Amino acid sequence: MRFRKPWVTVVSVAVAIIAAACGGTSSDNNNSANQTGTLTVWLMNGSAPQTVIDQVNADFKTKYPNVTVKVEIQQWGDIGTKLDTAFGGSTPPDVVELGNTLVAKYAAAGALEDITGKKANFDNSSTWLQSLTDSCTQSSKLYCVPYYAGSRAIIYRKDFFASAGVTPPDSMDGLLTAGQKLMTAHRSDASFSALYYPGKYWYAALPFVWDFGGDIATQSGGKWQGSLSSSQAQQGLTTLNTLVSSLSRADKNGDEAKQDAAFAQGHVAMIIANGWEVGVILDPKAGNPALKDQLGAFPIPSHTSGQTAPVFLGGSDLGVAARSKHQDLANAWIATLTGNKHMADMATVGGVIPNTTSMLNLGTGINTTFYNAAKNSKFVPNSQNWASVENANVLPDMLVKIFTKQQNIADATKAASDRITTILNGGG
Amino acid sequence: MGVAITTPDLEPAPTRPGPLRTRLLPYGLVTPSVAVIGGILAFPLGMLVWLSLQHYGLRELIAHQGEWVWLDNYRAILVDPLFRQVIFRSLAFTFACVVLTVVLSTLIALLLQRVRRAVRVIVMSALVFVWATPVIVTVDIWQWMFDYEFGVINYLLTQLHVGNFIHHNWFDNPLQGWGVLVVVAVWGAIPFVTITVFAGLLQVPGELLDAAQVDGAGGWQRFRFVTAPMLKPIFLIATCLSTIWDFGIFNQPYVLLNQRPSSDYYTIAIYSYRESFGVSQYGLGATIAVLMVIVLVVVTFLYVRETLKVAEIQ
Amino acid sequence: MIAREAARGVQAGRGRAETQTLTSVRAGRHLRQLAFDVTGIAVAVVMLFPIYWMVITAFKPGRDILTLEPKWFPAPFTLDNFKDAIARPYFLEDVRNSLVIVGVMLVLALLISFLAAVATARFGFRGRNAFLVMIIGVQMVPLNALIIPLYLMLDGVGQTDALPGVIAVYLAVVLPFMIWTLRGFVANIPAELEESAMIDGCTRVGAFFRITFPLVGPGLVATAIFGFIQAWNEYIIAYVLLSSPGNQTLTVWLASFTTNHGPEWGPLMAAATLTGLPVVAFFLLLQRYLAGGLTAGAVKG
Repeated sequence: MRFRKPWVTVVSVAVAIIAAACGGTSSDNNNSANQTGTLTVWLMNGSAPQTVIDQVNADFKTKYPNVTVKVEIQQWGDIGTKLDTAFGGSTPPDVVELGNTLVAKYAAAGALEDITGKKANFDNSSTWLQSLTDSCTQSSKLYCVPYYAGSRAIIYRKDFFASAGVTPPDSMDGLLTAGQKLMTAHRSDASFSALYYPGKYWYAALPFVWDFGGDIATQSGGKWQGSLSSSQAQQGLTTLNTLVSSLSRADKNGDEAKQDAAFAQGHVAMIIANGWEVGVILDPKAGNPALKDQLGAFPIPSHTSGQTAPVFLGGSDLGVAARSKHQDLANAWIATLTGNKHMADMATVGGVIPNTTSMLNLGTGINTTFYNAAKNSKFVPNSQNWASVENANVLPDMLVKIFTKQQNIADATKAASDRITTILNGGG
Repeated sequence: MGVAITTPDLEPAPTRPGPLRTRLLPYGLVTPSVAVIGGILAFPLGMLVWLSLQHYGLRELIAHQGEWVWLDNYRAILVDPLFRQVIFRSLAFTFACVVLTVVLSTLIALLLQRVRRAVRVIVMSALVFVWATPVIVTVDIWQWMFDYEFGVINYLLTQLHVGNFIHHNWFDNPLQGWGVLVVVAVWGAIPFVTITVFAGLLQVPGELLDAAQVDGAGGWQRFRFVTAPMLKPIFLIATCLSTIWDFGIFNQPYVLLNQRPSSDYYTIAIYSYRESFGVSQYGLGATIAVLMVIVLVVVTFLYVRETLKVAEIQ
Repeated sequence: MIAREAARGVQAGRGRAETQTLTSVRAGRHLRQLAFDVTGIAVAVVMLFPIYWMVITAFKPGRDILTLEPKWFPAPFTLDNFKDAIARPYFLEDVRNSLVIVGVMLVLALLISFLAAVATARFGFRGRNAFLVMIIGVQMVPLNALIIPLYLMLDGVGQTDALPGVIAVYLAVVLPFMIWTLRGFVANIPAELEESAMIDGCTRVGAFFRITFPLVGPGLVATAIFGFIQAWNEYIIAYVLLSSPGNQTLTVWLASFTTNHGPEWGPLMAAATLTGLPVVAFFLLLQRYLAGGLTAGAVKG
């Protein structure tokens, strides 16, 4: 009797070791049928069509029949608050969709798993869109998988262009001339904007800064330096200011949330927009389906005739929580969603720009312009403090001050630059 | 006394329970509420104060390990000129809202006494509808009504020849913007205060008012010397609660300014929320919240003392 | 009573003395009444306008919603927004969750706040003022500042993404106000009533539940309405705590109508109308108790 207890212990330890060893082999080899558990996935409202999610889960189920996947759609309002608390808690979701400008903050804080070593497991990882890969990279480590992208171009009314006798311009000067002709043709309409540009729309201002060779901030020796006050950046913003003051009657103090509704009302000839906004304009519940044949798109032209301006690449990434108890499963699920088969569906069914250059030929019709724009794209400074720059409204405030003439461009850009330098280097 | 304690069950109808039992009974009655409020809020409130003494960012939140900095957060906030501006603005806003809410609600309540029954039912139903609609929806509607190009208000004001409000942004000028916020906040606060004051008016005995009239008191005098004193407890409570609610206002400015108000439109609650969840400085956010409570305690001190006094007299 | 009749007599006498002006006085009175009624209607119109805008928008087809020139009536008229709203996934689950959360919370809150109200209205005891100050003070803390502490606390006991956690938070948040209001109602009921019941052979507690409890009914109703509205309309706590779509409340469902490119106005207004309906129904059902009740509480402080 006295020996029984240690004996039991020895046996159970042995069993545990064997079980652990088996468990290890089963996940390494494709013995995935043995894996169990529940995988929680947070996707944002409107990111992937339900049909795509269902197919991804069905495919995942055939590989991992004993794993339950719970896809929970999250709302945009106060999502940052929800993510902060969830990552601070003991049971964060295993897979999280993050807007690409948010990743740096969560990665730097240790919320996301370092998946540098697993990069090769994902389809197309060598051809991911560079700007998306950049958004996932912190100190040369990979913290997420690019999910989809969004890039901007100019959506225009073909009928307005035809009646004013203009064609899609191929330079910024041409854009101004075309816009002025449109304004003249519609001078009796007091609500008309040739180019509808809400003052706080900073994503659409970046192409002008970049096209002249400017940037938001540069990094050297680990220190950030805001650079909106450079002469190149100022040149870009001067060009934009001329366009806005002569072509736009949009709210100089407003944001872009209502631009599609404004466009659908028929007093707007051009907007700078994402590809999916075509769907919003034509949506029978909010827009005007009758415009279907009148919509066209062309890339934001460069100041150099015949070239296009680099655009901001928006989009989403998929990360795995550092505290997830099913990291391998989580990565496997992400690999399924971002794999060739379903990524193609995201493009064709969901209408978003896929995460890889190898699929940029999937754009059809009006979407082609947006897919091509993604090829010449850039990203915001890749710093964990960038989210704080966005939260401090630095860029919108600067644009509003310029457009409403509260400050001249030199002063406004200087103030914004200094602010960005402070925040990116960790100051309030 | 001893008998009452040891044999309470043997006596089916003790006319006078023992003094000890009487003394213990109220404690027994408040125990559940103290337990619930304490049990649920004591830890969060304690943690709020504890957070305000830490450097606590997103990394610390995830690691559950902050850095103790004593009063550094308080020092940082108190020297921040923005904080003083926000406090000043919040106080001015609260003052305007409370005065307008109480005055308008009282006028509407007085009016309700004088209109015919059908009209009273209509006004009451209107108040109920306003109260019952979720705030997160009504602020959306107000934002839209004050919209730059799709707003009914710009359209109406232009049609009524008040001026040219086509393409007018109400938030360009902070003074005007805060005016809009006062309108929206007061609109939302009127139903509760009006219904409360109206119910109070019903309890003012008609005899007293008639007698005052016989003595030659005019309408204002009757209100000033008869009605108002009787409604004092109601006004105290309405003012006190309105002050607390308006000082802590969040949704109205937050939504009307598209979820990212510029610092011109920070209320103290927005300031705290932005520090916490905008820039992930939970320590600073907690500090602002604690300071906010302190300011509120100072501002409402007199009301609370008066209210407690009224509570004594029974 | 005597005073009122005397006053009437005086007025009547005055009236007899001024027979010539009687008709004009009457006309003046009519005019005044008309002025009051018109002002009353005007107040109702101004107060209701945003709600009217919400409801007619819910019946408008998409293209008529955001227009440069407002459309005052829903013509053409459509039910599509309501159909769309109801057809969204998890609508019924969210209705159920909201009802469960608010229902359970209200029953507990009424019970607990009634006991505390009785204690503070009927007994003078050491710590009573401290208790009342706590009740007021707790209401001064902004709920948004407690999001992280509440989340971490509930996370520690495994109650995130669970209805009991939300019920507990709402309970603690509405209790202070409910105790404060109910306390006034109880204070309003003369203690003599209980005492006479006790003479008739009731225990003190028995007297309370047989005499005071029924009389305080309107107060319970008024307080319940307040608690109902607070909990029914809360968003941020429900959103942060509840993650599974099947566990969420109606306000979180409402938030799903706001996408990354702004609100879908038509369906959102339809959904908001639907969300507000139960509150209005609850209110109308109980409103006849309300006017008397709310003040009865407050007058005595």
